[in-house]
Amino acid sequence: MGFIKRNREVILVAALLVLPLGVYFAHARHPSERSRLDRMVLALTAPMEKGVSRAVGAILNVWNGYIALHHAHERARELERQVSVLKLKEMEFQRVKEENDRLHELLAFAQATPDWRVVGARVIGVRLDPKGLQVITIDRGSEAGIVRMMPVMVGGGVVGRVHAVASSTADVLVLTDRNSSIAVRVERSRARANVRGTGSPESCRLEYALRSDDIAEGDVLVTSGTDGVFPRGLLVGKVTGLKRSGQGLYQRADVAPAANVTKLEEVLVLFPSEERPPAKAAGEAPQAAESTAGGKP
Amino acid sequence: MRAVVAFVFALVLASVQAALLRYLGGGAVPVAMVLPIVVYLALHAGNLDGAVGAASVGYVVDLMAGEPKGLMMFLAVALFLCSRLAASGLSVQGAVGFVLLSGVGTFLYGLAALLLTRAVSPAESAPTFSLLGRMFTEAWFTGMLSPLIFAAMRWLDGLMAREDPSLLR
Repeated sequence: MGFIKRNREVILVAALLVLPLGVYFAHARHPSERSRLDRMVLALTAPMEKGVSRAVGAILNVWNGYIALHHAHERARELERQVSVLKLKEMEFQRVKEENDRLHELLAFAQATPDWRVVGARVIGVRLDPKGLQVITIDRGSEAGIVRMMPVMVGGGVVGRVHAVASSTADVLVLTDRNSSIAVRVERSRARANVRGTGSPESCRLEYALRSDDIAEGDVLVTSGTDGVFPRGLLVGKVTGLKRSGQGLYQRADVAPAANVTKLEEVLVLFPSEERPPAKAAGEAPQAAESTAGGKP
Repeated sequence: MRAVVAFVFALVLASVQAALLRYLGGGAVPVAMVLPIVVYLALHAGNLDGAVGAASVGYVVDLMAGEPKGLMMFLAVALFLCSRLAASGLSVQGAVGFVLLSGVGTFLYGLAALLLTRAVSPAESAPTFSLLGRMFTEAWFTGMLSPLIFAAMRWLDGLMAREDPSLLR
């Protein structure tokens, strides 16, 4: 007892070091879901992320719409000021047009996949951690009917799949995460392979492509639908650096993802048609495109 | 009490970081704003208080981006101990020392995470050493931002240490 009392601090610090390591190795063999405590703590962060996101957006709006204009007023003559105002308006129109184009693109995608329903969501957080998971946080969660493993898209291509869900937010594991593996097909030759993330947001790699398969640089990769997560035919990326060695079963290549995960603003979460997303609460502002694709009721 | 403050501050900082990175390159610029909290604890907290604080910060990092669970918590306590050893051995003082310790600590933290993840991951999903460049960038930006975290932690410490005026009467 005397020994424990004397070395209480050392024992407790050692326990703090050893216990998490034990948990890590245990979870490495048997991955588990987040605990209730984890979910509760994460739920606390969602309002903060939303709040900061809104505050920064508001500051940027004020900056673009007022302070920058004020500086122009001090510097320029009346005519120049009017030009500045018009330019700002043009930029605003351009921004609205670009947003409109993006939403049109999402809508076009939604209408082209009649077997899937889609829910639009805005990106409110980004964690592309080089030493951990590469996730983005979206502002829709289980209240919108989102569950784990649902595919997430933008008009340009596959973004990833839902990794964890809280009531009003969800984490999406992006396709560039090293734990992400998507079954794909080369659109030109129909050869099959997998696209796996590398942990770097701008590249993935092609795996399990047989050496005898017809694959060339620039080939477009689409989902094959065989992984049970993504519907077939969604754009994933392009083959860039093809390496075909003289031996071995497989050829290897780099893949440039079609969706740029560092520039996401709105995304679509895909629901299989039998899983209907719940209706939104009355009075809630629409976040992005929400569609019953293919004109189905 | 210090551990609770570290936990709450780490939670706030991680949320703010996730929201802000959306506007700063959409995540292309990696930064680990919570790790300087662990370095601060190593320099200014007691053994037990600091280790518990470091573990709570590690828990937050685990929640945000750790899988499998436990790795970031272990590494945070290890970073706490290493920073404490380095600080006593090299007599780290002032803002420059804190920046260096935070930067180097963040890089070693990332490197250890990479090696331990490689140890348990299947070969096809194991992280590769091509991420070292990104980790170096993360360490650089974290070091540059660490004086802000230092100032915030010192302010929080000041709030906790402030005497209750009623005791003076």
